[in-house]
Amino acid sequence: MFIDIYCTQEKKYNQNTYGDYFVSKRDPETDRLLAVLSDGLGSGIKANILASMTATMLLKFIEADSDVRKACEIMMNSLPVCQKRKISYSTFSVINCNSEGVTKIVEEGNPQFLWIRGNEVLEPDCDIITSETFKNRKMHVYRIKLKEGDRLIFCSDGVTQSGLGTDKFKLGLRRKGLIDAVLHKLKEDIFISSRDLSKFIVEFACSLEPDRKAKDDISAVCIHCRTPRKSMVFTGPPYHMEKDNYYANVFKDFEGKKAISGGTTANLISRELNIPIETPVTRNIGKLPSVSYMEGVDLVTEGILTLTKAYEYLEDEDEMQDDAAGELVKFLLESDCIIFMVGAKLNQAHYDPNLPIEIEIRKNIIKKIAKVLEDKYVKKVTIQFM
Amino acid sequence: MAKVSVKICMGTTCFVMGSSQLQDLVDIVKKKYGDDVEVSGSTCLNYCTHSSEYSKAPYVTVNDTVIQEATIDKVLQEIDRKLS
Repeated sequence: MFIDIYCTQEKKYNQNTYGDYFVSKRDPETDRLLAVLSDGLGSGIKANILASMTATMLLKFIEADSDVRKACEIMMNSLPVCQKRKISYSTFSVINCNSEGVTKIVEEGNPQFLWIRGNEVLEPDCDIITSETFKNRKMHVYRIKLKEGDRLIFCSDGVTQSGLGTDKFKLGLRRKGLIDAVLHKLKEDIFISSRDLSKFIVEFACSLEPDRKAKDDISAVCIHCRTPRKSMVFTGPPYHMEKDNYYANVFKDFEGKKAISGGTTANLISRELNIPIETPVTRNIGKLPSVSYMEGVDLVTEGILTLTKAYEYLEDEDEMQDDAAGELVKFLLESDCIIFMVGAKLNQAHYDPNLPIEIEIRKNIIKKIAKVLEDKYVKKVTIQFM
Repeated sequence: MAKVSVKICMGTTCFVMGSSQLQDLVDIVKKKYGDDVEVSGSTCLNYCTHSSEYSKAPYVTVNDTVIQEATIDKVLQEIDRKLS
């Protein structure tokens, strides 16, 4: 079972940074997905510092399997104290689950999470732990078992309090309103990705605010358990030419979506598998060669330039355009487990100093892409050199 | 008369060395020769790796003739030669 997780955030109106903070980590060795969402006291930089300290510390603690009560005591004692309010405060939701669906959740101060199975919201039991030093702080500990298709939704109070004071939502959206909105959305699209669902929740919460000006930081974290969508990106010719046929067949037999990135690579696959390539000469969008087509292959692009651009888009999604690199990014983000088959053969022509722009080394750019896919988009990435 | 086939290399090297501009050939050729000449792209024509002097990109082929450091003018001249 693959756990698809995504967080979308919006900052409070007129603030230049987010007061909520989200961190997550996939640990392939222990087969765990760890994530923390924290909402810092106040807004802006102060809240950001509190929330990021909280989230980062807690992530380290759960990574090390520390006792949750102890971890929270240490964390709460280390937070800087607000000069105005004389308290140090930040809420948190800690998520720790594995691919079997065994999940432990600890919540303090955030709105209670939603656990959705089918069209129902489940209400699990919890243990309440009271902090020794901070009597008003109670941690809710849930131990649940997720099944395929289940969804979890965590949010900061910016979501449940959105629309507060407006005619329609005098007390804000609240848990009930959030449940209605999410179930309605799921009826429309039962397979919606965590990314799109979290974007929908944040967008919906913003739309309830007068003039769409968020009164508080708004964050939504969505988790979806499902069978993994696998994909393979084949880029660069194998180092030993006699292995061309072997790797072309590995590509052919792969079960999942397939992309080729590289002109020579596409020729190689075309030659070995006897599939013609169709390369339309249309005015390319942006500064990249347009995509080509091969039967049985979901995407065929040029290599280094497209990969380099795709890396830029992954780093900054706002830059994304509808060109070949944009298509490659879409291909990657629609997958959960991605295998990069990276040919180690060098293209001498790329090292010609007369080339007007710097051309990256394939291995390096793939490593960079893999890192951003793992760290920012929480994908499972495997790189195989050939 | 047999059709003339023009192939523009869209590989990395050729693309950065100028084949991105050669895509205008599609419209120019259509206007000038109509359906007698067909322009298509290629993911890579493989000349950059096989030629000992690989700085001759971009490459274009007009039927069997390889044009190095191709420009729109050079390609049009070659098409004229093929058609005459």
